[in-house]
Amino acid sequence: MIQLVSKRLGAMAVIILVLTAVVFALQKASPFDPVHSMLGPSASREAVAQQRHALGLDQPLPSQYWHYLTALLHADLGMSYRTRHPITADLATFLPATAELALFALVLALVLGTALAVATTLRWRGAGVLRFVLVAGASTPAFLLAIGGILIFYQLLGWLPATGRTSFTDAPTGPTGLLTLDGLLAGRPEVTLDAMGHLVLPGLALAIGPAVSIGRVLRSSLVGNRRTDYVRTAMAKGLSEGSVLRKHVVRNSLGPALSMTGLQIGLMFAGVLVIENVFSWPGIGQYTSLSIPVGDFPAIAGVTLLLGAGFVAINTIVDILQAVADPRIDV
Amino acid sequence: MLDSSPHVAETPAVAEIDALHVTLRRGDQDIHAIRGMSLDIGPGEILGLVGESGSGKSVLAMSMLGLLPGDARTSGRCLVHGDDMLSAPAEVRRRRRRSSLGAVFQDPMTSLNPTMRIGAQVAEAAESDEEALRLLKAVGIPDAHRRMGAFPHELSGGLRQRVMIAMAVAGSPSLVVADEPTTALDVTVQAQVLALLRSLRDQIGCSFLLITHDLGVAARVADRVAVMYAGRLAEMGPTGVVLREAAHPYSLGLLGSRLSLGSSRTEPLATLPGEVPDPTRPPAGCPFAPRCDLVTDRCAQEPVDPVEVAPGHLSACVLPIEQVRGATEKAREKEGAPPAGTSGHPAGSSTQPQGDVAVDVRRVVKTFWVKAGRGRKQRLAALRDISLTVADGESVAIVGESGSGKSTLLRVIAGLEHAGGGEIALGHGVRPQMVFQDAGASLTPWLTVGDLIGERLRRERMSKPQRVERVAAALAQVGLPADVAGVRAAQLSGGQRQRVALARATVVPPKVLLCDEPTSALDVSLASGVINLIGRLRRELGMAVVFVTHDLSVARIVADRIAVMYLGRIVELGDAEDVVHHPRHPYTRALIGAVPDFGADPPALPGDPASPLRPPPGCSFHPRCPIAAEVCADPDLHPRLLGIGHGQVHQVACIRTEVL
Amino acid sequence: MATGSTATPVRSRARPRLLSGGGTTRLSQAAAGLFALTTLIALLAPLIEPYDPLLPVGQPQLAPGEQGFLLGTDSIGRDILSRVLAGWQSSWWAAVIVIASGLLVGGLVGLVAGTFGGIVDNVLMRITDTFLALPAPVIAIAVAATLGPSFAHTLLAVGIVWWPFYARIIRGEIRTLAARPHVEAARLAGAGRIRLGLRHLLPGAVPTAVVTASLDVGSLLLTLAGLSFLGLGQSAPAAELGADTAKNLSFLLQDWWIPVVPGVAVMVMALFGNIAGDGVRNLLGDR
Repeated sequence: MIQLVSKRLGAMAVIILVLTAVVFALQKASPFDPVHSMLGPSASREAVAQQRHALGLDQPLPSQYWHYLTALLHADLGMSYRTRHPITADLATFLPATAELALFALVLALVLGTALAVATTLRWRGAGVLRFVLVAGASTPAFLLAIGGILIFYQLLGWLPATGRTSFTDAPTGPTGLLTLDGLLAGRPEVTLDAMGHLVLPGLALAIGPAVSIGRVLRSSLVGNRRTDYVRTAMAKGLSEGSVLRKHVVRNSLGPALSMTGLQIGLMFAGVLVIENVFSWPGIGQYTSLSIPVGDFPAIAGVTLLLGAGFVAINTIVDILQAVADPRIDV
Repeated sequence: MLDSSPHVAETPAVAEIDALHVTLRRGDQDIHAIRGMSLDIGPGEILGLVGESGSGKSVLAMSMLGLLPGDARTSGRCLVHGDDMLSAPAEVRRRRRRSSLGAVFQDPMTSLNPTMRIGAQVAEAAESDEEALRLLKAVGIPDAHRRMGAFPHELSGGLRQRVMIAMAVAGSPSLVVADEPTTALDVTVQAQVLALLRSLRDQIGCSFLLITHDLGVAARVADRVAVMYAGRLAEMGPTGVVLREAAHPYSLGLLGSRLSLGSSRTEPLATLPGEVPDPTRPPAGCPFAPRCDLVTDRCAQEPVDPVEVAPGHLSACVLPIEQVRGATEKAREKEGAPPAGTSGHPAGSSTQPQGDVAVDVRRVVKTFWVKAGRGRKQRLAALRDISLTVADGESVAIVGESGSGKSTLLRVIAGLEHAGGGEIALGHGVRPQMVFQDAGASLTPWLTVGDLIGERLRRERMSKPQRVERVAAALAQVGLPADVAGVRAAQLSGGQRQRVALARATVVPPKVLLCDEPTSALDVSLASGVINLIGRLRRELGMAVVFVTHDLSVARIVADRIAVMYLGRIVELGDAEDVVHHPRHPYTRALIGAVPDFGADPPALPGDPASPLRPPPGCSFHPRCPIAAEVCADPDLHPRLLGIGHGQVHQVACIRTEVL
Repeated sequence: MATGSTATPVRSRARPRLLSGGGTTRLSQAAAGLFALTTLIALLAPLIEPYDPLLPVGQPQLAPGEQGFLLGTDSIGRDILSRVLAGWQSSWWAAVIVIASGLLVGGLVGLVAGTFGGIVDNVLMRITDTFLALPAPVIAIAVAATLGPSFAHTLLAVGIVWWPFYARIIRGEIRTLAARPHVEAARLAGAGRIRLGLRHLLPGAVPTAVVTASLDVGSLLLTLAGLSFLGLGQSAPAAELGADTAKNLSFLLQDWWIPVVPGVAVMVMALFGNIAGDGVRNLLGDR
């Protein structure tokens, strides 16, 4: 067990190292010159040289990469050209909003995906409609889902808000940064309710694609498991349908759905960048959207590292969970 | 055993099948799996249901358990204790399964939930952990208390099947449906499991429906035997009567083509021509008519229902029983002269070829490293110091159970694996050819038969028409028409595929032909044809044959000499007849005793074949050996093959032969 | 079992199934035909565009149907139908190029790894798995954002992250095939390593590769549209479906069709791709 965990953590460390190398190489390949961005086009030649030296840009690449790595270990991602703040501080500011949205969307995706899988496997009434809606939704770009949602539920029906995280100007800002939680902690349930309302549209726009993927995988492993010999054995024992499903089918079906969920988080991260843009959601996505047009590469690199490392970490956890759940998997 | 058949008693039957029809849907085709079956099973009776693949026997098992797929269409009745398992509400059927039925399936690995502990799985059927433990002990699982916490993959095949049986007999059911319960097991383990089934019947008094493709298995334990063919009952009667005085031409054909340790080695094996009818388009009349020597005009017109030919003995044939038996006698006499066509003498011939050495295996060692969990690798000693010579034109059979290393030896000779030590010398330096167990899988699916056979001719300079001609000749030699060259493997039947594999192996005749269980995946009626063919090719092309099989009766037919392997070593080697009829090694004796045969019923060898991952020290067989002494377990003991008798051709690796 | 399943490729299943598995052959053929239709539209786009997609040709912000502009005009009076057709064309070629290069590179890596096995397989698959363990869309965005907006850079960015998936799938298929006795039988029949790879292994992996690629078209189109939406596609004034939505978001509440129509076009393409992918899968067998 300890060996399994350490092996997986080792693999994770290697992948994250590769990620840093990729990001570093991109930085080098980038046409933007950080010195020019900092000093402006009119800077003197000496000033540029001085600045290059100060940033260590005159050193050989391996040593630059080494410095880059050591800085990363100290949580130093450099300065944003655009905001002129340390990127670590920027990310810390914008992360909670994104985390809240992503978590909400993940829960939504799991609920919808499971509903889709169970309803179609057991052929419930209305399963066809649910499947059609979700599947058509999964062929729709997230931004179209988002603007469609705004047109219908905000403009036409007026049920839901279209922008931002909250309608309160005095919403609590701590301690978790997740408004739904902070509202409850501050004893202001109306803030929580309002935050939930703001989450619905962006959350749905983000969740539908992953929900269909998760649902599809879960459904195919449910169907596949129902056809196995050991389910036939369980039926032959005279167990009830419900207990066959619970004890033999569902448990053995969760593995693939869990891996799929891990992988879908990558898509969701990319979706966040798009969706936050549409809903003016004050998170990392919007931060990135603003950084891209002005070529704020350190900011983009910081976001890539954060999301990439998060993705790798989540999938490592999924992997370990699976190995724990399935006695057949050895290290 | 035979006189205990209680089906004639007045006690009501446990199960009654009446005019059962089952049609399954596969893709957009209808599979007419069962087309009018009637039978009943008495209390405490073991009914052996025998049929080849596609006969509908497994569908019958599912009907009985009330577990047919939802889209199956049925008619007739399938009563268990008065409840119709076809039409009763799901809840009624479920309760019947719970209280009155048990089931054992073919593959115990897939039939147990891989992520659930053994104890929990048995307890689901047994209601409590205590009862589960009692059952596991009752079915002979050693160290049952510890095994309760094990997962299925941690148990051997034999133990897994015992677990299945424990679940089947939980709650003392009145009927256990066992669908090919021993097919996936080694012969010595099969004998144990069959003995267990019978002793459970005696203890609990439950009935068994024992479904098998092997008449020998049914003969060993069944009170009555029912023979199924193409979804219909061909014949049913008390076991001894059906085996000795079969009344249906199909049963006679099946009995005739079945190999036993007493089959003739000098005459070609009887074969059943043709194949089982397509279940999507079953014939209107007797389904066996197209393959039957005695076919009359009446046969093809309408289905023939079973009629009583003797008390308790049913046969579904329009001909009077005297005529059927008379015709078979006549056919047997005629077989004195070798018939034309593709059949020929079996591979073995009693004349010992005296010639150059074709294969010389000298002190070969092969070790694999296998994953052993937790990142470690474990040593698997597949071949431990094997020496064997095969003369030009000679046929040698290598016999052993799973894990004996017999296939590895063949693959090392073929050059598909490198020996870890020792030497392999091929007399002519020519690469041997090989035919595989799964002939279908050994043919590249997207290439035509012509491409595949032609591939061996690439080295030879010849024009395209010449090549086509050579391919056609090779096909003709194995009894296939030339137009087979244009089709792909998927369009061929199992028997045809094995013939194509043989045509590819012999289009350029090799000096050595290696056969890896080429008949074990085939039905009996097809297997004997392939064995005849290998024998004929061997004689016509002057090839040496090394034939790997788990079946001693096949080995005896195809080989001049037999080598018996156990855990990577040859334990006995000698003339085929000598080894089979005068076995000297205790393992060979046990193997012969375990061959399911009519009448014979020696005590089963205890224990599982040891794992090649942990071969016992000294003589590896000593933990199961009835005559083992302390010295047999000595780690310094390396039993060598030593000659016995005159000429020293019969060799045995046992230090205790004097005890026997 | 022991290989890091961190990298298990399940992208092909990550997509919806619109046709049920039991669909008839003809229905599947019609579905697969949508690939041909999409290609046809892309090929004919320059001919059937009613106006120049890049120039203002009418009054701005005309609603669909007004003054003969079928899908209306955008904020500076360009014909939206013409822009959608031009965007359709560039999106489709982008998808085709990414998939073709992914199949080529991934297929080569997978074939070599699967055929040779051993250390070659180990090294190639370690590299592939590392790539697969990173979130592809995020990396693509980072690459495109770093290199600066251009059509070629977008293709490069997506292409870099797209091939490992194919390499994994094709390698897996080749390894499965290589374990079959037919490969050993071919070796005994005298086939050399290259002949084994090209004749006895590769053809068996083609259906899987085609199915995988077909099923992938929809999600690739969505990914490309997402990049374009973030401003990582061709630079203005080129007609691009994602960018046309993004740039006109401010008109959403007054002239909804200006941002919505290009998005719907993406949806139609992705839907076509998904239906056609299902059709191909049904025709070649569900793998």
